[in-house]
Amino acid sequence: MTPSATTSVTTKPAGTDTGPGAARNPRRLGGAAAPLRGLAGLAGLVVVLQVLPHSGLVSGDYLPPASEMARALWHLLAEDAFWTALGDTLTGWGLGLAIAVAAGLVAGIVIGSVPVLRAVTASTIEFLRPIPSVALIPVAVLLYGTDLRSVLLLVVYASFWQVLVQVLAGTQDVDPVAEDTARSYRLGGWGRVRYVMWPTALPYVMTGVRLAATVALVLTITAELVIGAPGLGHEIAIAQTSGAVPQVYALVLVTGLLGVAVNLMARAVERRALHWHPSVRREG
Amino acid sequence: MQRRVFGLAVTLATVVAAAGCGSSSSGASDSASSGGGTTQVKVGVIPIVDVTPLYLGQKKGFFTKHGIDLKMETAQGGAAIVPGVVSGQFQFGFSNVTSLMIAQTKGVPIKSVVNGVATNGKVGADVTGVAVKKDSSIKSAKDLVGKNVAVNTLQNIGDTTVRESVRKAGGDPSKVKFVEMPFDQMPAALDGGQVDAAWMGEPALTIAKGQGARVVASPFAETDPKLTVATYFTSTKLLEQKPDLVKKFTAAMTESLEYASQHPDEARQMLTSYTKISGPVLKELTLPTWPTEIDMASLQKLASLGEQDGIFGGKKPDLNALFS
Amino acid sequence: MFRTTVLTVGKRVSLVLGLPAALFAVWWFATAGSTDFYVPPLSVILQKFGEVWTGARLESDVLPSLLRLGAGYLLAVVTGVGLGLLVGLSRIVRDVLEPVLELFRAVPPPVLVPVIMLFAGIGDTMKIIVIVSGCLWPILLNTVEGVRAVDEVLSDTCRSYGIDGPARLWHLVLRSASPQIVTGMRQSLSIGIILMVISEMFAASNGLGFTIVQFQRSFAIPEMWSGVLLLGLLGFVLSLLFRLAENRALAWYHGLRRAQRTP
Repeated sequence: MTPSATTSVTTKPAGTDTGPGAARNPRRLGGAAAPLRGLAGLAGLVVVLQVLPHSGLVSGDYLPPASEMARALWHLLAEDAFWTALGDTLTGWGLGLAIAVAAGLVAGIVIGSVPVLRAVTASTIEFLRPIPSVALIPVAVLLYGTDLRSVLLLVVYASFWQVLVQVLAGTQDVDPVAEDTARSYRLGGWGRVRYVMWPTALPYVMTGVRLAATVALVLTITAELVIGAPGLGHEIAIAQTSGAVPQVYALVLVTGLLGVAVNLMARAVERRALHWHPSVRREG
Repeated sequence: MQRRVFGLAVTLATVVAAAGCGSSSSGASDSASSGGGTTQVKVGVIPIVDVTPLYLGQKKGFFTKHGIDLKMETAQGGAAIVPGVVSGQFQFGFSNVTSLMIAQTKGVPIKSVVNGVATNGKVGADVTGVAVKKDSSIKSAKDLVGKNVAVNTLQNIGDTTVRESVRKAGGDPSKVKFVEMPFDQMPAALDGGQVDAAWMGEPALTIAKGQGARVVASPFAETDPKLTVATYFTSTKLLEQKPDLVKKFTAAMTESLEYASQHPDEARQMLTSYTKISGPVLKELTLPTWPTEIDMASLQKLASLGEQDGIFGGKKPDLNALFS
Repeated sequence: MFRTTVLTVGKRVSLVLGLPAALFAVWWFATAGSTDFYVPPLSVILQKFGEVWTGARLESDVLPSLLRLGAGYLLAVVTGVGLGLLVGLSRIVRDVLEPVLELFRAVPPPVLVPVIMLFAGIGDTMKIIVIVSGCLWPILLNTVEGVRAVDEVLSDTCRSYGIDGPARLWHLVLRSASPQIVTGMRQSLSIGIILMVISEMFAASNGLGFTIVQFQRSFAIPEMWSGVLLLGLLGFVLSLLFRLAENRALAWYHGLRRAQRTP
């Protein structure tokens, strides 16, 4: 179980790590090597994609080798339409996420700080949350046609719950001792939210935002794909109906990379916002 | 830091909430309000070969000539276009005639205004066809009995006309098993043996043929050599409120259809502007015909086939009310 | 005594059902005289609900969907936890796989379906894999986080007692990661329902999602709404069942938390 030994060393709080040099080494190595290893993983994926069509398992007509995807991607990058689509997708994603996070935060804090509200709304939230956002497509088209607003409707609906549920979990986790202390210091309602509830809930909120960021991206592209609103999803749909297989995969690759970028960004934001929190601090 | 994050969140919340409210309240479609000169018209279309005349007509200025500022809104199917037209988000939409008939029997307030596209009537070289693998045992439509056939939409124009092909070839159409799948995935499914045959439209059909697939039936041409396949439609509300706009659109569209029929090469080239079709597929794909008139006799045939298959839920579409 | 339990039960029931009932009432009255084609009166929807979702359709569409959902979900749990243990326990595996996994996670399922069809055909296998492909991520990520956060002291204690291999995995790692894993499983449940619907939009001939899409396409709008209602109901019931199971499985954890909270 050497790997686990490595893990336990790396996750020790920074200041207390007084182990011998041999035990410290893996972390340093790991820290520097992590991006390299990640690249190695991606390279492995590329190799698999390159080899697969030649293996006879699938035809290259339907799953083109990586080199062909790369060529299609290269051509795409030269097209204005691609960049416009990327911009549309990012706009839909950003706006949708911002609205969902704002609404989720406000609703979560209000519901979370009033026990009666929480009890009353619990069943409704559980009922509304699992309604698939795809089922809202006809409603979205009916209200807004195929423009940005129908994408936003789906994106906000899907990511709102991610944030709300996390915020609710966070507000529930408030330390009773801290709560009592705040009360004995006669902190008002706002003060309790600000100084007691907020710091406790923040890690949860950040997790919620991170989850919502990915969900929002997936939903933005799905909505564009299914409804036909402008964006990367719509470009994929056009490539699909045109039978332009390498372009389809090139675009899919872009959505995947976009996802990786979004996740890295969300993690960076999380780390900055929670730099004081033990879960971040001990990662050093 | 905490304070900053919180402050940021609150600012963001208010700004976004305000923006959100603003955009949703002012969002009502005022695009159809006819000013003095041109009127903006949104048309819901599927980005396929059939709607080329619309794009060509826009390029040739037929619509601006009639005071219409045309804007195409692409959707992935009639399911997204019809509600958009009914709610007034689009002024016009493109849909196949069977879907329009289904909509009418269900009471959707729409009416067809001008022809869209028709079969070219050539058995074996039509715009759609049932394709099988090169080495398949299926030689004719009759052999489809008991086989899995892919169509893009169940209970619609595809399976209805394929059944008719089987019927005409002397097979029992009720024994054909249909599977639903988007056109673009059919060549792969056919090749992988996941379906025995696939009813495909363009460009999937040309792609499959390029990979060696054989066409064993041409359901549109076999149903009626003049079959009207799809038309442009509007809501009955718009028809009442802005009959002039409908007239202008119909006139411009008719001109576009004529032009596309006379200039098939330009029409073919036009495809590159709104699809990603290119190379040999662009050169070889079969074009439909774009007559200016709807063929009522063919629609009657199609309607009775649909009734036979029970896709109207026991009702009868009123073709005169819908198409003329 | 009996009276008080009746009272508390009554109070809880009214808490659970109060708001939904109110919302339904609003919906009922707001749409009562609706002539809008796409927004039928609730009374019509409910009437259709009774007609559509009882009898034969329950067996021909709802049951196959539920079976696929169950199979996909279970498979996702097994794979997610297994893979999560592997990734969580090894820094190297984590570094290598993380970008690849993120890449796959960010690809929208409807785009992935054609690729899955190439390998898995168009039958139930394909639909189950589509469900797995979406449900996997929350379970996987939460398992990884849970495994990484195993208590240091416990870990050292285990080592000094010579508890190693599968026993360590079972008693220490899985057990301390279980609250996190359960969180992931809960998130996956609602994703699973969404993917059940999406998977049935491709090459399906039965199922709940298939039926709803057919209703939508054939302009049977009240029937479509009744399907959306059923999906919501399904999600609600499943999450209720999940909570019951969770309370049993994690009784020790909730007990611990309660004990910590009331010192």
